[in-house]
Amino acid sequence: MLFSSISFIYYFLPLVFIVYFLAPKTYKNMVLLISSLLFYFFGEPIYTSILIFSTIVDFIHSLVIEKYRGQKQAKIALISSIVINVSILGFFKYYDFFIENINVLLQTDFELLGLSLPIGISFFTFQTMSYTIDVYRGEAKAQKSIFGLGTYIALFPQLIAGPIVRYKTIAEEINKREHSYDNFAYGISRFVIGLFKKVLIANALGELSVIAIGANNMSVLFYWIGAIAFSIQIYFDFSGYSDMAIGLGRIFGFHFLENFNYPYVSKSISEFWSRWHISLGSWFKDYVYIPLGGNRGSRLKWFRNIFIVWFLTGFWHGASWNFVIWGLYFGMILFFEKLYLKKLLERLPSVFQHAYVLFIILISFVIFNNESLADIVLYLKGMFGLLNIPIVNQESLYYLKSYSTIIIISIIGATPFVNKCYSRLSNHNYIGKFINIAEPLGYIALILIITGYLVDASFNPFLYFRF
Amino acid sequence: MKNKIISITFMIFLISISILNIISPALEVSFAERRHLKQFDDFDFKNFLSGQFIEDFDEVALDQFIFRDRFRNLKAILEFEIFNKMDNNNIVVTDDGVFKIEYPLNEKSVEHLSDYINEICNEYLKNSNIYISIIPDKNYYLKEDILKIDYERLEELLMSGLKDMTYIDIKEALSLKDYYLTDPHWKQENLSEVIERLSDAMDFEIVVEDYVKKVFFPFYGAYYGQSALNVVPDTLTYLYNENILNAIVKNYEDPDHIKVYDELKLDDMDSYDVFLSGSSPLITIENSSAKRDHELIIFRDSFSSSLAPLLVESYSKITLVDLRYMPKDLLNEYVDFDDKDVLFMYSTSVVNNSNILK
Repeated sequence: MLFSSISFIYYFLPLVFIVYFLAPKTYKNMVLLISSLLFYFFGEPIYTSILIFSTIVDFIHSLVIEKYRGQKQAKIALISSIVINVSILGFFKYYDFFIENINVLLQTDFELLGLSLPIGISFFTFQTMSYTIDVYRGEAKAQKSIFGLGTYIALFPQLIAGPIVRYKTIAEEINKREHSYDNFAYGISRFVIGLFKKVLIANALGELSVIAIGANNMSVLFYWIGAIAFSIQIYFDFSGYSDMAIGLGRIFGFHFLENFNYPYVSKSISEFWSRWHISLGSWFKDYVYIPLGGNRGSRLKWFRNIFIVWFLTGFWHGASWNFVIWGLYFGMILFFEKLYLKKLLERLPSVFQHAYVLFIILISFVIFNNESLADIVLYLKGMFGLLNIPIVNQESLYYLKSYSTIIIISIIGATPFVNKCYSRLSNHNYIGKFINIAEPLGYIALILIITGYLVDASFNPFLYFRF
Repeated sequence: MKNKIISITFMIFLISISILNIISPALEVSFAERRHLKQFDDFDFKNFLSGQFIEDFDEVALDQFIFRDRFRNLKAILEFEIFNKMDNNNIVVTDDGVFKIEYPLNEKSVEHLSDYINEICNEYLKNSNIYISIIPDKNYYLKEDILKIDYERLEELLMSGLKDMTYIDIKEALSLKDYYLTDPHWKQENLSEVIERLSDAMDFEIVVEDYVKKVFFPFYGAYYGQSALNVVPDTLTYLYNENILNAIVKNYEDPDHIKVYDELKLDDMDSYDVFLSGSSPLITIENSSAKRDHELIIFRDSFSSSLAPLLVESYSKITLVDLRYMPKDLLNEYVDFDDKDVLFMYSTSVVNNSNILK
């Protein structure tokens, strides 16, 4: 089920709200668990069993870990849990990729399974792994109730596209959380803003990038429009989803950590990755990079650790070589940035630092959005005028003109400008009072506008569902 | 206090819309979009388990959403007025009317059409006078900077692929005012110059001034609903004279109707169907009082529905063949081509999407 669908907004959500808020405290988790399983079932009926299996596996393993804390059995339980989770992920997400590559390398003819990817599997397997690891490390207590753990893992606001919520972040709130108008209103505002980002901005730029990339008469300008539109689309799509998840979580009393913090205003790539998909970056840092030794030890070891982490980061995004290249591309840049570039960048005016980041990001999303190496090279050649095509043509100018307002709005929206204006104006004596009156109506107006776009459109899946 | 108001108003809004959606009776058709709306099927447990049920539910929820047209209208206004988009769902709205972008030129489709016509010529038209004319879509005449197909290239490509036949260029015989504002079709009352071009090339005579006009208002054309905006509707005018009144129509799809104009259709979803009752694979119009005993066969699309009645003065029988609804292999069973004038007359939209021809 999609957040940005009429059936979710006007059927599923109101029903869940009514049942959840009318239910006695002791049943609230049960209501959330059942609605979360239904939410997943509506999108992936068969694969709901994997979600339930994964929950049971981690519930049992974490109890074993806690029981035998400090003993060998605890370590075995941890390894067993990780192996099971990685196997589930590997089987559904990477099996065909490995077979395809083996067939090419060894000239064999092993059959592909052609299984569809269970939605959100990359997110919930990472969550469950973080849970058992945290229990093993003593950073979290094992959940004594399977329903409590199930509520955490299946919690529908963050189930299928993150953010990757760590158990320890919401462990206390599973059993005791506050429901208030403040939480509800904050949640509504984040949810509506997230929907707006997805439905009005990301979808429009998605259209533009598809038009530009698939145009009959290509031009250099079209290649750039395609790359820029996709880069903005993926930010608004994914951060919009995170906003919705954080908002819905807050309505039910959960405080999820932020997943995006205006990444496009970064002055270096390492800053970018501290602002982009924060929950994934910190997951790899805490569960892979640091355990491998981080930046301690020799430069070679440090390089190895960066290589492993960024290989995995890329591979996590999809079973395709372009994602691996994408991850390693960032790994390389971060390595050189930390070694040499950082000092050089700091001496440059900030406009050059921003330009450097945006250029690197733009190229990265060209890699991200083109499955084969040949397509990546072709696209980059197109961008840099090496394909013997016109710089501009009638078609590219038409679409640039048609989408210019939305591009400008999205660029402004990708900076903290709007938020800063809102904060300043809210603190103003008279304008603040006006905002207080207008804000409730503003959210209704926004949801009406979003509904208009949803009713007029047919199909608009989130980009990050495939990961 | 503010948060309390936000919470309560939002919940009331969400629940009210949900209840309204649940209690509102399902609509069968959308007149604005000219299509049947998806209906709820009976609950099927197998579908529920397979996920089909929720997929269908999503579609029904979209189609049956209350005030659907109003919401589409809201989106269209935002797209044009706030986001300054040039088009909304490929629909462009200007002072000169509503236009649908037909772009880019599909060269394969043009080549396919010329091969297709050549096959018909080789198979059936060995002893006929063959003519071809392409009806430019109204975008051709629009001065505004929208995406248009390359009409010169289209003509060049089509004609270079076609065997012996006469091309009748009618581009200069039309202008934007000859098309409806809210519909892709041309206006019957403005076709005198087109008829002149045809008569010059095909050697017949028609006096185009002697008609009585009947008008119908409001005519909401095909683009009216697609635009989702409150555009001024058109007036549909259809022309009568003795020849048209006396002509006898045989519609293979609708055998009961024998008149050129089917006025009952004016109140249907598409009022343009007043001309020869709308689309049909095969129609003949016979006029025993025609100036000459000669027959014309038109391979056509919907544009010819309004043109053909104006030609009955000069042809004792006109056969209209719509190959979008009739396979060309069946032509021999229904049409005698011997010693007839044959006119292929297609709009650019069909030329650019010729795979719809059977």
